[in-house]
Order: sequence, then structure tokens, then C-alpha cells
Amino acid sequence: MRTLLIIPFVLFFSACTQEQPKPNKPQTEEEKKFTFSPAGQLTPAKSGQGRNGDNYIYAPGIRFPIESAPAYLNSQVYGIGGLYGAKGSLCNEKNYQYPWHDNYCEKRRWGMPLCSGGKGHQGVDIRTATCEKKKYYAVAVEDGTITYIGKYTVKLRGKSGRTYRYLHLDSPSVLVKRGAKVNRGDRLGLVSNNMGSTKTSIHLHFDMKETIKIDGKSTKVYVPPYTSLVDAYKRLLRGNP
Amino acid sequence: MRKLLILPFLLGILSADNGILDIKWPKPNLKHQKPSTPYPKVLIEGIKDVKLPVYIPNSYAYIKNMIVVADKNFYTISFPFKGATVTISGDRTYQESVSNKQEFNAILKATPPVSFEQEEGIMTAEFNRNGVNYSMEIECDKPQTDERCTDTKLIKELYNRLIMVGGHP
Repeated sequence: MRTLLIIPFVLFFSACTQEQPKPNKPQTEEEKKFTFSPAGQLTPAKSGQGRNGDNYIYAPGIRFPIESAPAYLNSQVYGIGGLYGAKGSLCNEKNYQYPWHDNYCEKRRWGMPLCSGGKGHQGVDIRTATCEKKKYYAVAVEDGTITYIGKYTVKLRGKSGRTYRYLHLDSPSVLVKRGAKVNRGDRLGLVSNNMGSTKTSIHLHFDMKETIKIDGKSTKVYVPPYTSLVDAYKRLLRGNP
Repeated sequence: MRKLLILPFLLGILSADNGILDIKWPKPNLKHQKPSTPYPKVLIEGIKDVKLPVYIPNSYAYIKNMIVVADKNFYTISFPFKGATVTISGDRTYQESVSNKQEFNAILKATPPVSFEQEEGIMTAEFNRNGVNYSMEIECDKPQTDERCTDTKLIKELYNRLIMVGGHP
């Protein structure tokens, strides 16, 4: 009798755990091309120590922060033409190709609790499809509120409570105001090389800050965005951002 | 049957563990919360729904062109100044309870009560007060040369002048 009662539950849960059939959609050319190095593996090696093996998706389901593909996630500082990179133009085509390379925790002088040695890059840098400023839109990664717009910063507090920071957008192109409610995918502004009077390359610096609770205490930290972005980018390439 | 056991286990790991932090409310200071000269309407109206202690530097409480963005869970108040913006924000929510306690306990132990530093050209103060995490930032138009963004002097001054102007349980 017990077995009889259990069977329907087993069948129900079994159906729930079965993989859903994948839509029969052929891979796009961009999907075929897209490759990425593992999370935490920084390139070049001298650029620092990443969080190897941390494949946790801290912000599941977010939209990719640049409206359209392709986009190239790699180091600005250690890439060609960067401050510590090989000599050459920032627009060198090698900066605009796959694979992606994580640059969260790349060497920086400021404190970052989740990085080895307690210092490092608090987000990732993403280049747009081409080396042209004011051409590609950064978009909201989730529904939320614009809490701050500075000289070169736009902050979005998502419904999740996570804070997303977009740096280096072209100020005049920013389409949102402080306090504005935005929907996932709404345009925020054009990716550029704006850092006030300081020089930087054309890219979007994107970071995610969240509060982590441990036994009644809490701390607010920048969490690794790489795996969340790989996931989001795959969905973007699938046509289902 | 194995699937029956695996499913709740997986859901337990994958479910986002988020919620509201426990706030240890400080004793009210009526001089700050109900001053003889009322605070500007933008501040009073802006923070009326906020359910966490609202701190701002005392000298900024009467600046009328401040911008307040808030709801019951968070507030961000910005004060635009010539060539820079000062922002303070607090948030009573949490997004994660971590599984790797060892690492995060070490982080908590190593985290000072307040830290001041420049990152991405922005001068930042991070602190936890009353069980809530706050941050204060100064963003300059000229981050490499403006002393407000290269020296911690101003942000330390502002931090030392924080007063609680509102918020309610």
C-alpha cells in the first residue's frame, strides 16, 4: 500500500527533474564563435590571482549589460595598449576577440575582501563590438531603481537588492534620471571612455555589490560577476536575453 | 527515489537566501531627528518610508538641492557640489547567506568597522552601523587631481559628522 502511495510522487518528481527538451534552434555564428576561459583564470598571469573555481552564479538570470553582441570581456589594463599591456593600439583587433578572460580581482591597490591578498579589481571590464565610443548601449540587467548618476557612474539598485554599477558611460547620452524606475533591458546610456579628466579606454566597467549575511552579522561586498555574465551572454546570443 | 532526495537538496542550495537584516536601533536623539529648524522638505518627504536609520553628515542636512532616492529598504542621498558629488547610502536587505562560512567569517573578522579608500577614482567610506551596511562616496570630475578624491581627509571628516536624521522601525 505504501508503495502504491509513493509511486505517484516518484513519477511527479521524476518528471520535474527530467531535462526539458531544448528548442530545436540552430546555433548562430556568434554562438559558435563564443568561447571563454574559466572563472578566476586571469590573463596574463602577471595580472593577478583570480577566484579560481568559483563558478557560483551570484546574480542568476540577469540580462547582459550591453544591449547587443558581440562584446568582449577582457583586461583593459593588461590588454594591448593598456597601462601594463603590450605596446599597441587600444583598438588592436586582438582586444576584440574571444575567448573572454575574467578580470575580477585583477591587480589593483584598493581593498577587495573576496580577492586573494585582500586587494583587486571589484568588477569586470567589457569591450563593445567595435572600438567606437558612443555607439553601443548599456542596459539595465534587472528591474530596479536608478539610485545615482555621477560624472562617470550610473548605479542601479535591482529588485533583488543587489547594486550594479556601470562606469564610463558617455554622460550626455545617459537616458535615465536619479530615482527612475527601469525595466530589465532598458537603455541607460552609451558605452564610452569617460572617467572625468582621467584617461581610460572605451569599455564598460561593470560590478555587482551585495550584502552577505553570516550568523547574524553581515558585510557588503563586490561579488564576482563573471559567471553571471557568461550565462547572460549565452542567453543574449540565443536570442533570449 | 534517489531523485526525491536530490531535489530538495538542490533546491536548498539554489534558492536565493535573501531577506531583511536585524537592526539594532539606536536611542533617538531628538536634537537630530526633530531639530528646531526643520530639515528641508526634500529630505523629510524623501525618507519618510525608510525603515533603517538614516545617517547624513550634519553640515549637509539643510542643503536643499540634495537628491533623495529611497524606499522602505534603502536610501541614497546625493549632494551635488562644484566638481564633485557626495553620496551616502544604506540598505537593510541581504542577498546571500554563504555556504563557505570559513572564508566569509575570515572576511568579517578582517573587516574594520570603517574603511576609507579610493577605488576607480572614487573616494569611499564603508561601514556597518546598527547592523546595517552603509557607504559614503565622493566622485570628482577630476579624480586624479581633486584633493577630495585623492586624500581621505574630507571623507573622514564627513564620516565623523554623521547624524541620524530619520528612519523608523
